[in-house]
Amino acid sequence: MDENNKTLIVCHACDALQDVSHIPKGNIASCICCDVRLFKNTKSTIESPLAILIACAIFFVIANIYPLLQLNIAGIERETTLIETAYMLFTEGSPVLAIVVGLTSFVFPGFCVFSLLYVYLAIYFKKNGYFIRPLLVWSSRLLPWSMMDVYLLAILVAVVKLLSLASVILGIGFSAMIFFVIFYAAFISSIEMHVLWTKLDENCGGAQCE
Amino acid sequence: MKTVVERSVNKIIRAKNAGLASCHVCDLVIALNNKEAANCPRCNSKIHYRKHDSLNRAWAFLISAFIMYIPANTEAIMITGGLGQESSDTIISGIIYFIATGDWPLALVIFSASVLLPLLKIISIGYLLIMVHRGSELRKKEKTRLYVTAELIGKWSMVDVFVVALLTSLIQLGELSYITPGPAGLAFAIMVVLTMFSAMAFDPKLLWDESEEK
Repeated sequence: MDENNKTLIVCHACDALQDVSHIPKGNIASCICCDVRLFKNTKSTIESPLAILIACAIFFVIANIYPLLQLNIAGIERETTLIETAYMLFTEGSPVLAIVVGLTSFVFPGFCVFSLLYVYLAIYFKKNGYFIRPLLVWSSRLLPWSMMDVYLLAILVAVVKLLSLASVILGIGFSAMIFFVIFYAAFISSIEMHVLWTKLDENCGGAQCE
Repeated sequence: MKTVVERSVNKIIRAKNAGLASCHVCDLVIALNNKEAANCPRCNSKIHYRKHDSLNRAWAFLISAFIMYIPANTEAIMITGGLGQESSDTIISGIIYFIATGDWPLALVIFSASVLLPLLKIISIGYLLIMVHRGSELRKKEKTRLYVTAELIGKWSMVDVFVVALLTSLIQLGELSYITPGPAGLAFAIMVVLTMFSAMAFDPKLLWDESEEK
């Protein structure tokens, strides 16, 4: 493989070929042709995204264990977690809708966070592991389908709707979800696939590891 | 913080004209030359000069999304029942309810996310597709920005589907009170997924192509 290729980037939006080797650390390059964000030379390529990712994973687990909302209607207590929401939808006669909700609010975000965590840890400890490349491919494909942030807005809307019927308590899961969404957004803005793949190549000594 | 690549501003080289293409997944630039497609040596994804059959696929998803947009807004999204009575809500009637009770910020959120955004997204992608077919040369930068924005905002339309999911799972008190999703819930979710597929199938590079080939 031509070594020169690794500093070349093709704009995703307009196909303009550009050399990004002279972009200083901590800077974002825009495409010369269409102004779309082209490349970010992150200050820390592995350590700080890894730290943020660990935080994401912890908050993801907490957000799934503890209830998001608890409510009290006429003396009856009800609560729901992320998985229970999809499960109840499944049993209450809307299985297809339940699958869409379950995938976008739980399966995809979880898959992306944990497989990226695995990939980052492998690069950080300079170890080769199984399925690193396919996991990275699939998590970057599924990133746009993770909708925890939209879900957070939906909880707020649901709370306002419920306030007229019942007393609502926001659960620990809800707080954890706020932190998850913040850290996840920070992670997404710091990730640069091009750099990550280059690191992965260096990790394997330039050769394919699998 | 913003640096613009200033080298070779005067002559912009399109990767396709140089026989190069980049991988959609890992951004590796490889020489395709006369080949139609190749597998990425780094991540094994398919690399094409342009997204495969972009226009046809984008149109198909877009038209299907528009068809789903109609039941998504006319049918009931949520059925509320209790003590022998049942009533159904469409998205619009939900918005009207919020305005009537004085929650106009919430009405605005639901209206933008559920009614306005999907429609704007469908119109935007339809407009971009027509512009590619006509080989329009005007305002390419703005059109590219329109595409990037449309792709970014798409998923926020899912908010109403999640609201219904949450209410369904919380309000299950047997005969006393229950909520179930209406047919529009499914139509809505499918519509959002289809608009996302449509945006992903569309290749913005086509906006820039036409002019140079003529």
